[in-house]
Amino acid sequence: MVSPAIGLAFLPLVMTLLIRYRFYFVLFYRAVLVRVWRDCRTGLSREERAFQYVLTHATPGDPESILDAFDAWCSKVEFISNIGPKKGKILDRLLSEQSPLTVLELGAHCGYSTVRMARALPLGARLYSLEMDQKNAAIAEKVIRLAGFDDDIVELIVCPSDEVIPRLRSDYGLEKLDFVFMDHWKKCYLPDLQMLEGSGLLGKGSMILADNVLFPGAPNFLRHVRRCGLYEWRVHRATLEYSKGIRDGMAELIYQGTK
Amino acid sequence: MPKDHLITSENDREVDETRDGEPTVGRQRKRPRENKKEKKKEEGRERDRRVPRNAQQDVDLEERTAKERQRERKKDREEKVERVGGLEESKVNSKDIAAKSKKNLKNEKTRRKGRTDRDVEEGQAMHKQSKGCAKAEDNKQDTGKQTENKKVKKKRRKTVETSSEHESSEEDVDKEGEGEDEDKAEEEEVRQETLTPEELEKLKEAVDDRKKLIQALRGKPWPMKKKLTTLRESQEFLEKYEGALGKGKGRKLYAYKVMMNKKWMKFKRDFENFKTACIPWEMKIKEIESHFGSSVASYFIFLRWMYGINMILFGLTFGLVMVPEALMGRPYGSMPRKTVPRAEETGAMDFAVLWDFGGYAQYSVLFYGYYNSQRAIGWLKFRMPLSYFLVGVGTVAYSYMVVIRKMARNANETGGGDDNSFNFSWKTFTSWDYLIGNPETADNKFASITTSFKEAILEEQESRKDDNIHLTRFLRVLANFLVLCCLAGSGYLIYFVVRRSQKFALEGFENHTWWERNEVNMVMSLLGMFCPMLFDVISALENYHPRVALQWQLGRIFALFLGNLYTFIIALMDEINLKRKEEDVVQFNMTMWEASLSNETVSDNSTAPPMFTHPADVPRGPCWETMVGQEFVRLIISDTMTTYITLLIGDFLRAVLVRFLNYCWCWDLEAGFPSYSEFDVSGNVLGLIFNQGMIWMGAFYAPCLPALNVLRLHVSMYLQCWAVMCCNVPQERVFKASGSNNFYMAMLLVILFLSTLPAIYTIVTIPPSFDCGPFSGKARMFDVIQETLESDFPAWIGKVFSYASNPGLVLPFMLLMVLAIYYLQSTSKSYKESNVELKKKLQMQNEENKKKNKRAALKAAMELEEARKASSSRDTEQHHDAPHPHADTGDSRAGGNPGNPAPSPDCGGRSQTAKAPPSSARGRHANQGAPAGYLPAGVPKQRDTPPPRLQRVASGQRH
Repeated sequence: MVSPAIGLAFLPLVMTLLIRYRFYFVLFYRAVLVRVWRDCRTGLSREERAFQYVLTHATPGDPESILDAFDAWCSKVEFISNIGPKKGKILDRLLSEQSPLTVLELGAHCGYSTVRMARALPLGARLYSLEMDQKNAAIAEKVIRLAGFDDDIVELIVCPSDEVIPRLRSDYGLEKLDFVFMDHWKKCYLPDLQMLEGSGLLGKGSMILADNVLFPGAPNFLRHVRRCGLYEWRVHRATLEYSKGIRDGMAELIYQGTK
Repeated sequence: MPKDHLITSENDREVDETRDGEPTVGRQRKRPRENKKEKKKEEGRERDRRVPRNAQQDVDLEERTAKERQRERKKDREEKVERVGGLEESKVNSKDIAAKSKKNLKNEKTRRKGRTDRDVEEGQAMHKQSKGCAKAEDNKQDTGKQTENKKVKKKRRKTVETSSEHESSEEDVDKEGEGEDEDKAEEEEVRQETLTPEELEKLKEAVDDRKKLIQALRGKPWPMKKKLTTLRESQEFLEKYEGALGKGKGRKLYAYKVMMNKKWMKFKRDFENFKTACIPWEMKIKEIESHFGSSVASYFIFLRWMYGINMILFGLTFGLVMVPEALMGRPYGSMPRKTVPRAEETGAMDFAVLWDFGGYAQYSVLFYGYYNSQRAIGWLKFRMPLSYFLVGVGTVAYSYMVVIRKMARNANETGGGDDNSFNFSWKTFTSWDYLIGNPETADNKFASITTSFKEAILEEQESRKDDNIHLTRFLRVLANFLVLCCLAGSGYLIYFVVRRSQKFALEGFENHTWWERNEVNMVMSLLGMFCPMLFDVISALENYHPRVALQWQLGRIFALFLGNLYTFIIALMDEINLKRKEEDVVQFNMTMWEASLSNETVSDNSTAPPMFTHPADVPRGPCWETMVGQEFVRLIISDTMTTYITLLIGDFLRAVLVRFLNYCWCWDLEAGFPSYSEFDVSGNVLGLIFNQGMIWMGAFYAPCLPALNVLRLHVSMYLQCWAVMCCNVPQERVFKASGSNNFYMAMLLVILFLSTLPAIYTIVTIPPSFDCGPFSGKARMFDVIQETLESDFPAWIGKVFSYASNPGLVLPFMLLMVLAIYYLQSTSKSYKESNVELKKKLQMQNEENKKKNKRAALKAAMELEEARKASSSRDTEQHHDAPHPHADTGDSRAGGNPGNPAPSPDCGGRSQTAKAPPSSARGRHANQGAPAGYLPAGVPKQRDTPPPRLQRVASGQRH
């Protein structure tokens, strides 16, 4: 029988862990516990709840207000792993520097990042957005249309990324991708990147931006990027969306081509 | 030779010179033909070693200079031949063949040429042989150069036919063409043969110039690259020509001197290396320092220092107490105090008992109780009790001495320097840790410097706003409050546990589980482990600089450990009192028992009653001293175990998990949540300090403690070195810990004081046990001194001591000491003040000098302007009659100089504005430029006479 005093001696350890990793606990609470609880109570999915909020709080046709509404919901009510306002600024800056004409987005989710990118694109540019999940894609479609972007600017493809990427050239008539934004399953980062390399859609100067490379993290992806030597790369360090203490980063790769 | 690792300085090359320089010197003196071939081979080998440095560069240069020289030499060809003849004559005694007439000279020339051709071929053959071991790249370079050689040779053959008088110059040229590859030495020889005294003078001057340049190089305002190349070139030049100086016998002596000087330097360096190699763990610590910065290394240096002290303590106790008792004292089983009692005998050899230092371990030299109170033991008449007492006092005294001496030395090293007044310049110039040798750590350091700059700027802004200061103050107060709560909580927990264990002790330990028996130690270790982590987390609130934060952290952990230790000691005191009560009872029983024994003997009328009782059966007192010793030993053991287990679980296991689970985990373990651990400097340092405190406290009652500690420190040195290198990552904010060393020392001193306090208290106030230990039967432990004085020394010494211990003498003495301390303190204060004033004076002087220099520079600039005007006006006159090639060669030389591929802008600018400056520019280049570019024979007269004023002004401007 272990005496209670020894148990009490572990209290400082428990407190240390609680304090040190408080952001992770908060995240766990908001992203998992609250979500499960709300799912049970309302019977709607998280994305649907977010859309309802946006619908009631945003001005249709105004991307800014839609983004603001999303941000407000995600930081106050529940947690959805959108790109968030802080990292979004980095994305905006890169887009305005690059002004790409053909953009591919992997993982549209609720359409937050799609709207964010679409409003920063130059005239005549086209954004291909991939979403695997049917329900999410439906909501993303609604959000995109609500923001006032039509089919000419944004094309939503409802299909897993590993099926679509080999068909991009044949089915969608793409020659070269100027900008690729990755924000889908972290495990798919590496295979999709390799698929993109193999498909020949990346030309010299194409930029690939991968979100959440530090948390939840895509170590294999980063390792590949480091080793293959095809890219000029850097990691923008930031914090996880809607959370202060968890460090995260976006990897910016510029394709240099084989030498 | 580990030279590369240990000492790297610009002098390194000079060590190499001893190898190469010696034969060159020898070669120049005489050239017997018979030895020629062998020498050639040697030289070939030497050159092979030397070539890869900047071979390609030099070849280019040689070619260029060769062409140039060819042109120049055509002018004074005849003169040259004569000169060669003259030199040949002067060296008659040093050659086998005398060359006296011109005819002979010519013969000689042709012969020599043939020979050199042969030599060249041989050299090439040698090359082919040595290629086997040379690198592939070198091979490429060599072959390239050989083709060049062939070209040059063809050219030469043509010219040979045209005229034989061309030969001398032609030969020179050719040899320089081949120079770097094959015949550098040959070229030297030829050149030095052809030296006239004037040229020798010039060479000497050039060598002196180089020497001066090397000395003054550090102060030159040049980029590092240029400095390095210049240094290398100058050193090569010196290496080549230094041996050629001096004449006749003097030359030999000079060469010998130079050689000995170099040998001496090499010896000194080797000796230094040897000394470094003798310092234990030096390389290990250096490696850690390069990876983790000096703060982590400071811990290991401290650990090593502690190890040294403990070695000495161990030597004292082992040599003067344990070994004599074991060898000369009575053997085990001869007395009750040296025997395991009958009740414990059955389990005395069990591991569990031994692990708790009971059983046979308790009744051995390891503990106080085993020692006999016999005044002198063995044939040496070794005074055991006296020795025991003196060693106990001596270890403490020695520790005080060492710690205070070290503190004083550290205080001297950390000269004053305020951190607050020049914040940004301190940061700019001193923030880099030059001992870092690992790219990752360097990255971290870089990042930390940038962030510290950002923070400093922010702080500066905020300090002007000063509305946020309330928040930080509040946070700091809050953090301290939390820490205090934590301390109080842990103190209460320990108090609670100790009370409980006393209750258990009253009930008897046998009825309780292992957990309950070891509760006190466990709780203390766990609290000592986890509370610092909590403090660390709390201190994030305070937002201090890591160095300050480290000190706060150290202070807090110090308070925690001190609280724990003193709770422990108070509990021990209670236990001692209990034992003493028990002892009284036992003593009473003993007399009863003895009386009953004597009664029995009286009744039985037997002759020797004690013979029948085995020492194991004799009733004995509890012997509180051994109990205290045991407690300390147990504490040390459990502490060590906790440290090692935390190391293995917290660092190693975590690192392994993070490393290998990362392949199949859903987030990045290395960059994200668990990550690798950082080395905890403050916790480790304090662990060490408190460990030492416990040693000091317990060593009197358990002579084995220093030995245990030495063992522990030794193991932890290796284990922690390994753990740091294998499972820790450098801190995010690497910082220098130069100032905190004395902080450690101060803490150690406090702990030393605090730990000797209870030990002295017990020694002075509590009477020793009546039946165990070296002082049994005495009223107080220190009575042993009086006893010795009375019986072993003549009577007058005892008298002197009794007078000396008279309060009438002691009090004035104390007063005197206080006065002396006061006097010394006040003088040191006044010295400090005068130091500060001197510093101010120095600063003022510096400012004055700066102003003066500014004025001088302005003046120099004015003069330069004038000089420019004057020289340009003069040069326009000169320009008409001065030939073109003059400036031309100057430019080509400046371009061909490998030291500065692009001529410095001011000199280039001047060479355009005025025509004279090229010569001055060349003058400077010749001073610093390539060794191969120097031409003792072919320097035309105009070059050496630049307008003197101009050059002086230019140099003035430079400095």
